[in-house]
Amino acid sequence: MDAPRWSRRLLAAAGLCLSMAAGTANAGDYVSLPGGSFASVIANDASGRLASVEAFEMRVTPVTQEEFERFVERQPQWRRDRIASVLADAGYLSDWASPTQGPVGESPHRPVTHVSWFAAQAFCESEGARLPSWSEWEYAAAADETRRDARADPQWRSRILSWYSRPSTQPLRAVGAAPNVYGLRDMHALVWEWVDDFNALLVDADSRSGDDPDKLKFCGAGAINLQQRENYAVLMRVALLSSLRASDSTASLGFRCVRPIESQTREAP
Amino acid sequence: MRSQKTSVVKSFASICLFAAAGVAFAGTNAAKPAPGKWAGDFGPPQGAPIHAVLTSPPHVPPPTNRSYPAKVIVDLEVVEKEMPISEGVSYTFWTFGGTVPGSFIRVRQGDTVEFHLKNHPKNKMPHNIDLHGVTGPGGGAASSFTAPGHETQFTFKALNEGIYVYHCATAPVGMHVANGMYGLILVEPPKGLSKVDHEYYVMQGDFYTTGKYREKGLQPFDMEKAIDERPTYVLFNGAEGALTGDKAIAAKTNETVRLFVGNGGPNMVSSFHVIGAIFDKVRFEGGTEVQSNVQTTLIPAGGAAVVEFSTKVPGSYVLVDHSIFRAFNKGALAILKVNGPQDKAVYSGKELDAVYLGDRAQPNLEAVATATQAAAQGTLTLQDQVHAGQALFAGTCSVCHQSNGAGLPGVFPPLAGSDYLAADPSRAIGVLLQGLNGKVTVNGSEYNSVMPPMNQLNDDEVANILTYVLNSWGNPGGQIHTEDVRKVRAEKKPAPAQGEH
Amino acid sequence: MKTEHAASRGLARVHRAVMPALFAICAVLAVAGPAGAAPDAASPATASPLPGDSIYQLPVPLTDQTGRSFMLADRRGTPLVISMFYTSCQFTCPMLLEAVRATEMQLSMAQRNHVNVLLVSFDPAHDTVAVLARTAGERKVDDTRWSLARTDPVSVRKLAAVLGIQYRALGNGDFNHTTTLVLVDAQGRIVGRTNEMGGADPKFVKLLRGMTAAL
Repeated sequence: MDAPRWSRRLLAAAGLCLSMAAGTANAGDYVSLPGGSFASVIANDASGRLASVEAFEMRVTPVTQEEFERFVERQPQWRRDRIASVLADAGYLSDWASPTQGPVGESPHRPVTHVSWFAAQAFCESEGARLPSWSEWEYAAAADETRRDARADPQWRSRILSWYSRPSTQPLRAVGAAPNVYGLRDMHALVWEWVDDFNALLVDADSRSGDDPDKLKFCGAGAINLQQRENYAVLMRVALLSSLRASDSTASLGFRCVRPIESQTREAP
Repeated sequence: MRSQKTSVVKSFASICLFAAAGVAFAGTNAAKPAPGKWAGDFGPPQGAPIHAVLTSPPHVPPPTNRSYPAKVIVDLEVVEKEMPISEGVSYTFWTFGGTVPGSFIRVRQGDTVEFHLKNHPKNKMPHNIDLHGVTGPGGGAASSFTAPGHETQFTFKALNEGIYVYHCATAPVGMHVANGMYGLILVEPPKGLSKVDHEYYVMQGDFYTTGKYREKGLQPFDMEKAIDERPTYVLFNGAEGALTGDKAIAAKTNETVRLFVGNGGPNMVSSFHVIGAIFDKVRFEGGTEVQSNVQTTLIPAGGAAVVEFSTKVPGSYVLVDHSIFRAFNKGALAILKVNGPQDKAVYSGKELDAVYLGDRAQPNLEAVATATQAAAQGTLTLQDQVHAGQALFAGTCSVCHQSNGAGLPGVFPPLAGSDYLAADPSRAIGVLLQGLNGKVTVNGSEYNSVMPPMNQLNDDEVANILTYVLNSWGNPGGQIHTEDVRKVRAEKKPAPAQGEH
Repeated sequence: MKTEHAASRGLARVHRAVMPALFAICAVLAVAGPAGAAPDAASPATASPLPGDSIYQLPVPLTDQTGRSFMLADRRGTPLVISMFYTSCQFTCPMLLEAVRATEMQLSMAQRNHVNVLLVSFDPAHDTVAVLARTAGERKVDDTRWSLARTDPVSVRKLAAVLGIQYRALGNGDFNHTTTLVLVDAQGRIVGRTNEMGGADPKFVKLLRGMTAAL
């Protein structure tokens, strides 16, 4: 890579800044996931090849209100009264009592929602991490308490679907439900979660067009066909993420972070 | 998908996208009044923009009464909410405008419709809308994909007149439709529809829950059943009893009724029939052709029809899906209550509702429920039994013995002032449990019919019905208890008994 | 950039010098604990504040086909046609370049000189400066107003997000992506976009003319 000297300096300075931030802040708990191949609902191309992910570490729970409050304290440019609208729209942290304080009367351990993709990215970067890719998220979420891939099990699917059938009139509960086989909690039944490439899912807004890609709109293979159409639980996630812009936020959308396995060594005491 | 949002600046962008998608009809800033090149395009909108009046089912907005194409603004909000689907059973519906089916939209052919779709911030899911009356990609679905807490807008010209279904088309489409995301949009012909006395909005849909039919509590959607096309409920307007009892639609005798009947599916085709009425006119499939003198009309899933008939005699006219188990075992039943003077020449005047409401009449179940509760608590009174018995009699016995106990001369013996009953009241228990055939003489007349055993009645019900009968129409009174019935049931085998005398 | 104001050129230099310093300050503040607001590292110091909906709120370091390095925000001050592509794209990317060219052809010489073009690559791994330079040569790109640029992968994702452009790596070097030309005003606000790649989109051209007429 022939990046110019000044930008390499910049990146180094950023790295220094981030690692120090990671050291002083309480980075959340992470667990390791092994890499592997799996059948994704999003086909890369017509070949039917399996998707694959490298080993990575993932936050055990979604980021909580409390953690996000601390982040906004440390990086006040991310307060809702200071942030540029191109990075977070009017809904950003709209349920907070004040620009620095979460909603009154709700658990500080509930997942933070009403956060834009840019804000979620910034939080993850502040602890030396990043948002998961769709593949990483899908891979981690395919597990249940005992199996790495429970997606073919109709019981698993209907458990997840039953969350969708509950209207979101109650406040969100605190994170910390039973862990899946990797030790991750609340991958389902709590909030939607941002992924890094949420805008890459390239689902046609009208999901019935099936095999009729509008080639002029999408270079390459055309709008991606969704595989496993009976796997409604995952399809709903793809649909939700495809409807969003990076500055959007919703009441049911939170996030968690991932980082490469080696980052463990970077944590300052 | 990444819909262009509706700020003033960005509406330019939405027009760009729309144009790029190849739809030629969206231009509202067209040149002066020449009609467009497509049939049904009567030129650019005239006059001030109109905000469409949307109505909740079963009501229909009034006719547009316009003779020119206008710009019509439609504001429709998607709300995900928990509502009852049956007695004691609730379901999380996803709704257009807070109801299932969604609000009824009425415009005129040639209108330019500016459609605003809002997704309530409390909703979890993204939604969009496909209007079958739109000529354009996805019927609008491509341009209206809306995240929770957002609003999208697109514009189309209603080129074709007719009655059209609209529904959500977000992945997974089947689930969005199964959760109630459908409704009707009427595009009036330029001269409007002929005048009728009443217009009503009815839409059939099939629902899939993990619990069984009428299993209590909040029931989640069952995807396996939906894929296998095994509905738990088949309903008009989204709930059992949505159009019965005091929510029945109404008319008077000698009036004309027009029903806009849609079928949201997702799976079942409807064999739509109104018991006691013949459709004078049916716009089958909602198209332009009209059929006359129709008893039952097919309404495809994702389709609609318009039926018209005139009311001649009073009574309760029952709307059903004539795939009949859906009407009586899954709830596909609605009532049109017609009030007014009898016309015996047309119809002799038997009560119709007794036959079809059966033992499932929503409003009448209360008396039965009260009696059941009282019996469980040991506080059952004669009055409780009489009231419960009356409710049950209406569905079961009045068919033959009439609601006033008069019977049918020469065919069914009377119960009113019956000497047969007075002679031995408890004998009637055996009659109900085992039936009665062969000759009997009641009040001096001979009867020789077959009364089938009432196998569907339990001990409580038999006791209550008999108590009611004994205390009505000049009968001697008295009380039959559940234990009496139990004893008789245990003693005798269920073989047809000879008529005793 | 012939038409860049001297002020904004000088600005770019100041910006480049200041950025590492700003990050160092940020690091110090992070250690010291939460205090007041950290300086907003994204906005260059200009007379008027940067609008909240300006794409220049996003810090994106870029290098173009001539080896020039600059920040996205350095383009502030002139209308900008911006999009994303990659050099080995066989299908719509060549059409994208031609669409930009066709659009420019609809402007007068004077108007053309008041518009910049910035095309950023989805594929920084393959699209090195040398590759970008070669592509620019093959397509006869005017280096004074057109930049074919690259940045780091994280910034590619962020830039695409702010422009509303979707893309996905297919693993064989190809990308699945939307093709959109975005028109941004002098302050960085998105004022128009087009997906028409068959030639110049008349509505897009009209917008451009409107913006360059005032200059």
